[in-house]
Amino acid sequence: MIETAPAPLSGGPVRGRLPGALRLLAPFLIALGAGAVVLWATGRDAFAVYGQLADAALGGGTQIADTLAATTPILFTGIATALAFRAGAFNVGVEGSLYVGAFAAAWTGFSFPHLPGAPLLALAALLAALAGAAWALLPALARAWLDVSEVVTTLMLNYVAILLTSYLVNDHFLARGVANSMSPMIAPQARLPPLLPGSQLSAALLLGLLLLAGYWFLFSRSTLGFELRLVGLAPRLARASGVDLRRSLVIAMLASGLVGGWAGGFQVLGVIHRFVDGFSPGYGFTGIAVAILGRNHPLGILAGALFFGILTSGGGMVQLVSSIPIDLVNVVQGTLMVFAVADLGRLGWLRRWAGRA
Amino acid sequence: MSGLSRRAATAVLAGLALLAAGCGSSTGTPRASSGVAGATQTGAGAQPSFTPACKPPAGRTYRVALVIAQGGLGDQSYNDLAYAGFTRAKQDFPIQGQVIQSPDIVSQGRSILQQAGQQGFDLVIDLEFSTGDALKEVAPQYPNTHWMIVNLPSNAPDVTGYLFDEQDGSFLAGALAALVTRDTGIKGINPDHTIGVIGGTKSPGIDKFIVGYIQGAHQVDAATRVLVKYADGFGDPANGKQLAQALFDQGADIVYQVAGGTGTGIIQAAQQAGHFAIGVDTDQDSLAPGSVLTSMVKRTDFAVYDAIDRLVCGTLKGGESITLGLAQGGVGLSPMKFTRSLVPAADLSRVDRYRQDILSGRIKVWNVISQGYPSWYR
Repeated sequence: MIETAPAPLSGGPVRGRLPGALRLLAPFLIALGAGAVVLWATGRDAFAVYGQLADAALGGGTQIADTLAATTPILFTGIATALAFRAGAFNVGVEGSLYVGAFAAAWTGFSFPHLPGAPLLALAALLAALAGAAWALLPALARAWLDVSEVVTTLMLNYVAILLTSYLVNDHFLARGVANSMSPMIAPQARLPPLLPGSQLSAALLLGLLLLAGYWFLFSRSTLGFELRLVGLAPRLARASGVDLRRSLVIAMLASGLVGGWAGGFQVLGVIHRFVDGFSPGYGFTGIAVAILGRNHPLGILAGALFFGILTSGGGMVQLVSSIPIDLVNVVQGTLMVFAVADLGRLGWLRRWAGRA
Repeated sequence: MSGLSRRAATAVLAGLALLAAGCGSSTGTPRASSGVAGATQTGAGAQPSFTPACKPPAGRTYRVALVIAQGGLGDQSYNDLAYAGFTRAKQDFPIQGQVIQSPDIVSQGRSILQQAGQQGFDLVIDLEFSTGDALKEVAPQYPNTHWMIVNLPSNAPDVTGYLFDEQDGSFLAGALAALVTRDTGIKGINPDHTIGVIGGTKSPGIDKFIVGYIQGAHQVDAATRVLVKYADGFGDPANGKQLAQALFDQGADIVYQVAGGTGTGIIQAAQQAGHFAIGVDTDQDSLAPGSVLTSMVKRTDFAVYDAIDRLVCGTLKGGESITLGLAQGGVGLSPMKFTRSLVPAADLSRVDRYRQDILSGRIKVWNVISQGYPSWYR
C-alpha cells in the first residue's frame, strides 16, 4: 500500500472548478429556474407556487413525515449507485436489484406468516440483499473478466428484473380475489414499525441513515474503502500498488446490488406491504441523479434524496389544495437530471463571475 | 472530473432513455385498452344515463378529489375515461374538483388519501387499485368523507366500491364473433369456425373477460373453436401484432383484444390481414374503421359520474359495492358504427336476445373473480 493524501471527493482536476457550494447548488437552482420559467409562461406566480409546494411537503409534522417517507427509497438507491461509482463501476442496474429485492422481501413476508416478527424481518432483509446482489453479479463478473461494459449489461438487466417479477406475481403469486397484478399482503409482523402513526414513514429511514453512516465510514476510515476509491480514481496506480482490481470491482458491484435490493425490500416491508407489479416510479434512476448531484458524498446524497423526496411528496399533495399540474414536478426533475451531469465549471465566464461574487 | 462525468453522463442518459421507455408500458391492471375516451353508445340497448338523479341542493358546494392511477392522465384509457366522467360531473353538479396525480402513486397513495381526509373532502375517488387496502385503514378515521374505489369491492363503512360485469359484455362479444365467423358471405371471414382472444397477462382480472367471451361463443355453437393467447403485458403493440397474426394463421378471423396498449397492434394486424378485431374498454371501432367488429365498452366514466351524482343527491351510502352491468349500460357492445351494415340483422337481434336473457337471469355468465375458474377453462 502506498501512502497518498486522500483524493478529492469528485476526483477531478482543479482547473474548471467552481467554488464548492455554488458547484453543488447550481443544478438545483437551474432546475428551479426552469420550473419558474414554465410557471410564469403559463401565467402562474412561481414564488407562490413554490411556496405552496414547500408547504405541502414540509408544512407540518405529517407533511414532513410523508416527505421523509418519499426520500427513503431514493436515499437507498443513491447510496447503492454511489457505492459502485466510487469504485469506477457505472452500475445503472440498481432499479433491477430493487425489483428483485422487493419481490424477495414480499415473498418472505407472505410465505412464512408463522414466524415471529424479528426473524421474519431479518430473513426478508437477508433475501432482499441476496437477490439484489445476485442481480449485479453477472455484470460484475463480465466486466471484471471479459471487460464487458457494465453500463450496457446492468441497464438491460433492469428490463429482465421488471419482467421477471411481473411474471412471478402474475403467474404464481397473485393475491386471491384480486383482479390486479399484486402479491398477497405480507404478514403483519413483517411490517417495519412506523415512525409516526398516520404517515407512511417507517423505520426504513433509520436503516437508510445507518447505511449512510456506514458508507461514510467505509470510504473515509477503512482500507477497503480506500482501495475501492483508488480503483475508481486511478486503476493503474491501484494495480501498481497491489490492489486486486477485479476483486475490488466485484465487491463494489455486489455491494451496490445488495443495497439496491434493500431499497426495494424495505419499501415493501415499510410502505407497500406487498409486491405490486411495476411499483417503482424509477427509484433506481433517480438514485443515479442523486449520486451524481451529491458527488458521491454522504451529505450530498442525503441532500439530493431529500430534494427529490420533497418534489415527490409536495408535488402530489399540493394538488389537494391548488391546481398545480404534475408537469411542473416533471420539468424540475428532468432539468435537474440534465444539469446534474453537466460540468458547469467548464463555463469560463461562470467561473470568473463566481470568483468575483 | 471530465472522464468521470462523461461516463456518468452516458449512464444517466441511458437511464433516462429507459425511464422514458418504461413510461410507455402500463402495469398489469385489468384496464384493458387504448383509444380515445369519449362518447360511446352501447349498441344493443341501454347506455348509461348521464343525467342528475335529483336537482342539486342550492347553496352547497361539494369538494371532490380524483386520485389518478399509475399511467397518469393522457393514457387514452382508464385514467382519461374516469377523468371524462369527472369533468362531466363538474358541469352538472355544484362541485369543486381537485385532480391529484402523484409522481409515485403506489408508495404515496396512502399519504395522499390520508391528507385528503384531513382536508375534509366530501368525496375522494381513488382510481389506484394498489391503495385499496390503505382505504380500509384511512376511511374510518374520517367519517365525514365518502370514498370511492374502482374495480375493487367496498372494504370499509364509508367506502363505495364500483365493479363491472365485464364477463357479461364479453359474452355478447363472443356470441357476436361466433355468429359472424360462420358467415362466409362477409368479406374477411373464412370457412373455419375459429375465433381468438388475446389477454394482456394471465390473471383473473383478464380471464374474467376471456371466460365470458368463450362462454358466449359456445352458447351460439359449441363447436366454435376459441384460440386463447396471452401477451407479455399491456404496453407492447408489436407483440400484439405478432400474436394476432399467429391466430389469423391458425384460422381465426375475429380476435378479441383484452390487452391495453398491446391491443392497438392486434387491431392493426386485423386491418392488415383483412380480418376483424374486437376492441375493449372504450369504443375502439374508429381506430380501424370496418376492421373492428365491435368494442366491449366499460364505462369507468359513468362510475365516477354516478358516485358524484349519489353524493350530491344524498344516496351515497358507503359500505356497499355497486356493480355496473348491462342493465345500467356500464358494460356492453359499441354501436358498431362502421360494421353494423356488414352483419346480418338476424345475428344482431340474436345477440340482443342473449342480452335480454342475461338481464332476465336465464343465462348466467361465469365470473372468474367471484366464482374462481370454471372446470372447462384453465
